[in-house]
Formats: sequence, C-alpha cells, structure tokens
Amino acid sequence: MQQGDKFTHRFVVDDRVYNGFIEIFNDRNPLHTDAGWAQSKGFKGMVMHGNILNGFVSYFVGELLPMKNVIIHAQTINFSLPVYMGDEVEFNAEVAGYYESVNTYEFKFTFRNGEGKRVAKGTVQIGLLA
Amino acid sequence: MEYNQVVKEVNDIFVDVLDNEDIKLTDSTTATDIDEWDSLSHIQLVVAIEKHFKVKFNTAEIQSWKNVGEMCKAIANRAN
Repeated sequence: MQQGDKFTHRFVVDDRVYNGFIEIFNDRNPLHTDAGWAQSKGFKGMVMHGNILNGFVSYFVGELLPMKNVIIHAQTINFSLPVYMGDEVEFNAEVAGYYESVNTYEFKFTFRNGEGKRVAKGTVQIGLLA
Repeated sequence: MEYNQVVKEVNDIFVDVLDNEDIKLTDSTTATDIDEWDSLSHIQLVVAIEKHFKVKFNTAEIQSWKNVGEMCKAIANRAN
C-alpha cells in the first residue's frame, strides 16, 4: 500500500443499520426519529445519524484494507449534507501519506450520495501493529 | 532551518497535539517530563512534525533521539 492508492465501497443506510445504531447507542433525537419534526426543520425526512458513517469508516479500516494488523489512531469527519433512510453512499478513500518512522498511514475519505454530492469528508490515521 | 525557530514550532506542535498550553520544551525534555506524551500521542507528534516540516524520518532515527534537543537538531538539519 502506497501513497495514492485508492479504495471504494458502497454502503446502504437501511433499516438494519439505522435500527441497530439506535438500539446500541440510544440516540433518539427527533431529528433522527420524527419525520415531521425533521421536516419542520427543513429536511426531507428523518436524518440518519452522522456517526453511522463513522461506522462505515470502521468497516473500511477493519475489513477492506489488505492487512488486518491495523488500529485507528485518529479520525476526523465533517458532514456537509444529510443522509436519509435508504440512501446508498459511495465511500472513496485514498492513501494520503505513509509515515514509516511510526508505521502509520493516513487516508483521506469522502462519502457521496446517489446524486454524486459529497455528504461527508474526513481523515483516518491508522497504525500497523507489529 | 534555524534551530531556535525549529524549537519554537515544535513547541507549538506539542501544545496543539497534547492540548497542554503549559508545555515549554527545552533541549533536555523527554517523554517522562510531560504526562500527555505517551506511546500513542508520540505517534501523533511524529506525524504532525513530519507534516509540518515536510520531512521524513525512519524508525531508527526516531529511536536514536534521547531528548527534544536531538529531535530538533535532526529537524533543523533536514528541513528547508
């Protein structure tokens, strides 16, 4: 794996993901659970929890990289557009840097919705376990 | 790069990464002198330093540094 290497994957925010997230973390804020309330705030419907996307980043690190001896050191994410129930989001990540001195990779990533619009972007830094 | 400027910029990086405004690095500072400087934050510090100064070190170089002074000298010698 070297700088510039790219990874892509599609995720769907479906009932199973949404209900699983609520079941585990118990965030029932009306923005996420009350369509009428969310619409009153200018959204099309219930906005999916932004941190569901962080779960997808976890999947990327843990399951999609070509090695298993990985650990997340740091992660950032900025949200720019809402994700709604049933949306398919395209995840793209690129190796932004490798720090041989501390055996650490940094990735930049984006999530885009079905219209190709960026809904989130961020970075994740992972270390390789000896 | 001038050594004192390196020390100043490294100090700023330590303050930011370790979130401790009280940090005042000296040549003899080591990880034992700063509570927040642990094995994980060490990685964050190295990555931040390599990015900031646009330099690359290897594992052997890093392990050879006995204190902040040796690290800053290495950066000063390497950075433009």
